[in-house]
Amino acid sequence: MNERRTSVPSDATQMPILTRFLQEFWSAAELPQADALTFELALEEVFMNVVMHGASADSVPRVEVSVALGDGALTLTVEDDGPAFDPLSLAVPDVTASLDERRVGGLGVFLVRRMMDSVSYHRVGARNQLRMTKQVAR
Amino acid sequence: MKVRLETFGPTTLVLPQGRLDFASADRFQMQLEQALAGAGTAPAALIIDCVDLDYVSSAGLRVFLRAARAAERVGVSFAVCTLKPAVRDVFDLSGFSRIIAVHASRAMALQTAAGPA
Repeated sequence: MNERRTSVPSDATQMPILTRFLQEFWSAAELPQADALTFELALEEVFMNVVMHGASADSVPRVEVSVALGDGALTLTVEDDGPAFDPLSLAVPDVTASLDERRVGGLGVFLVRRMMDSVSYHRVGARNQLRMTKQVAR
Repeated sequence: MKVRLETFGPTTLVLPQGRLDFASADRFQMQLEQALAGAGTAPAALIIDCVDLDYVSSAGLRVFLRAARAAERVGVSFAVCTLKPAVRDVFDLSGFSRIIAVHASRAMALQTAAGPA
């Protein structure tokens, strides 16, 4: 099991740091590039959700990101100590709606669910934990 | 993200390069609005050539959606072309390839744009 972990404040300006963290893990583990973008997208969507839903006037949540590779599957876990928020509870967008009727809310999480093999949310103590797993071809 | 513009008669071709994510989305949105407005006269067609676009997230999709709607409002035809596999996946999964015209090549997009409306 190969695992890496990092943590950043829940602030949009931290996104490039997280992307770099993922890319460095990717090169070190010599994983296929095709899957890298899937995980970069998942990390952006989930992190930006935390940034948008987790902020309150008096505190900025801390976000901890970990990647773990085992048995050919990569697990990306995003945890934060913000208010309880289950992104999987967001309404699923109607992807068959017309141009005029199309709404974009919930699209990020929807994409993550479609691209990953499994996605689960747990409230662990005072933390939100979103865990995403996908088989990565080697 | 870098963006280049090319014009072919009444058609404006926009070439985003790199990553269209939450950080680059607002600026790209502005650039598309400017391209749509043109020099006072709207172009007959706006084509986003994604040949150099490596990555698009939901923040980027939002920009495509807004641009497609804005184009429709002013009677400008709107299309995207030459999507890389990763970008194509996002377009397909999100259902955007059903509401926005997607062409395999720039030539096909230009040909369609030049044809009868």
